[in-house]
Amino acid sequence: MKANKSIVVIGGGIAGITSALELANSGSTVYLIEKEAQIGGKAASFCCKATEVCTKCSACLLPQRLSEVATHPQISILTNSTVVGINGELGNFRAEVWQKPQYISPQKCVACGLCAEVCPTTPKAIQSPPPEAVPYSYSIDESQCLRLKGKRCNLCREVCPTDAIAFAQKPEGRELNNVGAIIVATGFDVFNAREIGCLNYSRYPNVLTGLDLEKIFRNQGSLKLPSNGGKPKKVAFIQCVGSRDENHGYCSQVCCKYAIRLARLITYQTPDAEVTIFYIDLQTAGKGFAQFYKECQESIRFIRGVPIEILEAPSDELEVRFENISQGRVERENFDLVALSVGIAPRKDSWDLAKVLGINLGDDGFFDTKEPFNSVETNVEGIFLAGACQGSKDIPDSIAHGISAAERAMEVLQRCK
Amino acid sequence: MQIKMGIFLCDCGGSLKNIDFPKISGNLENLEDVAFVDISHNLCLEEGTRAITSRVLTENVNRVVIAACSPEFCERNFAGLLEKLRLNPNLLSLANIREQCSWAHEGDVTGKALELIMMAADRAQLLQPVETKEIAVNNEVLVVGGGFCGMKSSLELSQLGIRTTLIERESTLGGKLRELEGFYSSQRETMIKAVEKEENIEILTSTEVAGVEGKIGDFSVRIRKGKKETLRSFGAIVFATGYKTEVAAGDFPLKPGVNIISQERLAQLLQAPTPEAKPDTVGFIFDLSDENSRFPTLATLNSALTVKQRWGSEIYVFCKNVKVDSEGAEKLYCEAREQGVVFLKFDEKPTISADDGRVKIEAKDVLLGEDVTLTCNLVVAEEKFLPSEGTKGLSSLLKIRTDPQGFYQEENVHLYPVSSERKGVFFIGNCRGDLGLGRVLTDIFSVVAKIRELLSPGVVAEVDRVKVDPQKCVACLTCIRVCPHNAVQLVQIDSEKVAADISQLACDRCGICAAICPAKAIKFEGYSDEQILAQIKAIGAS
Amino acid sequence: MNGEIVAFCCEHSAYVAADAAGKQGLHCPENLRIIRVPCAGRVDIIHILKAVEEGAVAVLVLGCEDGLCQHLTGNVRAKERVKYSETLLKEIGIDGRRVAMFNLAANAPHKFIQAINEMNERMKESGEEK
Repeated sequence: MKANKSIVVIGGGIAGITSALELANSGSTVYLIEKEAQIGGKAASFCCKATEVCTKCSACLLPQRLSEVATHPQISILTNSTVVGINGELGNFRAEVWQKPQYISPQKCVACGLCAEVCPTTPKAIQSPPPEAVPYSYSIDESQCLRLKGKRCNLCREVCPTDAIAFAQKPEGRELNNVGAIIVATGFDVFNAREIGCLNYSRYPNVLTGLDLEKIFRNQGSLKLPSNGGKPKKVAFIQCVGSRDENHGYCSQVCCKYAIRLARLITYQTPDAEVTIFYIDLQTAGKGFAQFYKECQESIRFIRGVPIEILEAPSDELEVRFENISQGRVERENFDLVALSVGIAPRKDSWDLAKVLGINLGDDGFFDTKEPFNSVETNVEGIFLAGACQGSKDIPDSIAHGISAAERAMEVLQRCK
Repeated sequence: MQIKMGIFLCDCGGSLKNIDFPKISGNLENLEDVAFVDISHNLCLEEGTRAITSRVLTENVNRVVIAACSPEFCERNFAGLLEKLRLNPNLLSLANIREQCSWAHEGDVTGKALELIMMAADRAQLLQPVETKEIAVNNEVLVVGGGFCGMKSSLELSQLGIRTTLIERESTLGGKLRELEGFYSSQRETMIKAVEKEENIEILTSTEVAGVEGKIGDFSVRIRKGKKETLRSFGAIVFATGYKTEVAAGDFPLKPGVNIISQERLAQLLQAPTPEAKPDTVGFIFDLSDENSRFPTLATLNSALTVKQRWGSEIYVFCKNVKVDSEGAEKLYCEAREQGVVFLKFDEKPTISADDGRVKIEAKDVLLGEDVTLTCNLVVAEEKFLPSEGTKGLSSLLKIRTDPQGFYQEENVHLYPVSSERKGVFFIGNCRGDLGLGRVLTDIFSVVAKIRELLSPGVVAEVDRVKVDPQKCVACLTCIRVCPHNAVQLVQIDSEKVAADISQLACDRCGICAAICPAKAIKFEGYSDEQILAQIKAIGAS
Repeated sequence: MNGEIVAFCCEHSAYVAADAAGKQGLHCPENLRIIRVPCAGRVDIIHILKAVEEGAVAVLVLGCEDGLCQHLTGNVRAKERVKYSETLLKEIGIDGRRVAMFNLAANAPHKFIQAINEMNERMKESGEEK
């Protein structure tokens, strides 16, 4: 392949990173375009779910790849950036990339923290990056920053040793020429549990989503009740929240496995905790999972029947009303904490990106492929899909899909000369 | 050669306030072998690059120590810079004084920082250059298994110009496509023709793998056809040996006259012309002996829709959980129900008995909460999804571990999707588990990518990063047995001596062999015993 | 040495977790000295014993979780070697609990801190702190 043709990967989650590495290791120049201030996507906030053994959740596969991507000479990472227009065709695309003002330049920021120390607002307008962030650089919250709100303040700029802060920054447009192919790896949105009002997510502090739980374990190492910091004694997981329903006619594929792993992690860390998983159909297929599931059946209660309502109960407890299908009756039970196993939903901004690129969305709202059983090629030659943006996938499948997309992109590019 | 060491300290924009840099510099400057100690504010930025460049070039140092942030994020850049400055990148030693020192502790950590730098410096004194070299590889690929997976990957590889040998145990290609003709229609014939037409693909039927030696880029494979064995050489091996299905006999009273058949048999029946006596009621049953398999659900959904379409029978499906965690499965499930297929979920296993030439299934339907008895003309039995015949044999031949269910590929997340612990040996498709078609296709392209990466012309590897000293080696074979990547072989050194030899391409740099060698004959440059012990000695020495 | 804890950290898991701990502001005792290794399986008994001989108050080997080792058996071998070192130390009259193996993943900084703190506590209890 011509050395000067580059490939644009839109999205820096596990799939995008995998594609980028695959392409870069085969000699291509890669532009990794990421909308947020750091790459890593959803998996960056997932926790390790090991008990005495690794439970194969694959979350730790991301940190390894992150440092590889960040230091790869063939990969240029553009954060706070989106693709706003393309023209051309396979082998010769031109991509217009729009970069949000990054008041603190990630290229110059050395994460010394001096700016955050002197920032006068409360809460501070300058935030340290989350520990897994790549690039590991500080950022300014526009809504809090005095200077950006028109007031006079130059404290951070005065202490910055690398002159990384520039308030005059405007959104910047940039053109990437000679782009041979484009890989879309924009990932997914987590289903917004607020849409199911009767589950009272965000109204009761002890109703959390699966992603919330992951973040708690990742950032704090153990689970404490949000309401009072106590140890959870009775935990419920509710499956299929935002999957297999009228608006989401698919199984999200990841929820049963992550719920069972998180449940097992809870019983491992707190042996006297009782965990119950409410399900419709338990998805326990997959490499090696059978053995793990069998072991979990000793410490986790599985109830067929998805709860319809979560109500407040005395002492900060939650009353869950559910149909116990095996018993054939409606029951109520109190729990300390209820975890909603939220599903994978297509991103709300997919529509915009689809318009920009000229690719189609499928019935479920994910990006569509050109033919069934060809899961990486879109209707536009030269534009490929990688990862969950094409349909629900877990981490290993997203990695495989990312490698596959990179391979197809290289093949198609080679042939088009 | 006289060691001349240059030390760079980075104070990260002056923010590492709990380290007294001038004090450290003072302590280091007077040490033997140290040419200079520079304090910099931002070694990772352009000014740092300029500083390192000018110093290294003018001072002619032959060892470099950099005390900065974590090597995870800066080692590659600094090593690349040194390489550009004609200094071997392995002569660089790093000390992590930020994440693991300044940021990790409260209060003054000057003492610890100094010690970490001393550890790095003492190690640096013992570092030796490591060269990289282009390694000639055989880029021919062996694909084992002539089913859908094997054929499709051979086609993809051959289109990249890679010569592929496709071997198949049976006398014809096709694998499961033969049995699943109904679902894949003419694909089998088209595919076989395409494979036969490809110049880059050599097809060997009625042929098996009898032995595999060697390493990536240079595998010696013994291929057996009948009684005859030939020795062939390949750069990489792809196993696409598929799966088999078995009806768990214990679950079903398979007596003559009772109509219990397998999914494969049903697929055959559905392809034949519609029988005069169509079965009125067809029952499907799974989740009896294996609750954790996708295959029965997917096969049932597909078959049930075809049965409805062709025979119009009443269809009942007995199962515990429908496994819909594959692309399109939930839609199939909904369509099946819309077409009138009835799903009955059970918690306890149903009882199956013969009833006057038909099959009676008695189960407690959890949704109804009632006992249900159904008499079917035909029952399609659950089949366990198993590794194909010969999987066990092959895995011991290859010295490769399988997962708890017996499928290829150790259940280790680092190996997913298609790699094995032996570089250059890959597993694709259903031979590594119950995947479903979407994942199978992804596997095929993933393996092509991996092969492209590993076997492209001009592949470069480090030479002698981990090396056996043939003079010290007593050929005890411990390293050969212990290497998790099968990267060590016994080679003839001269007319009298054999010794272990580590393949630079296959070695994954773990150092397990170096630790276990009883003669201490293996040196892992960068992490040798001396280099590790030097770091230990440097602790508390100042 | 002067009360240091020597921790051999596997570059795939423990070393990354140690970095993450620093980034997250999780503090641990200052007497920790990390030696980076490509795999816990690289650590040999002689390394562990030399560290004790040089005066380390405790020696830890930190590797990947059981079943996660990229080299399949590295963490298992390390565990065996640590156990054997324990036995050897006991034989010569040194508290075998000075050496220990911990398993963790790259995204588990809390486990890293827990391991260090546990060793420090253990050694304080047995009065071996200095």
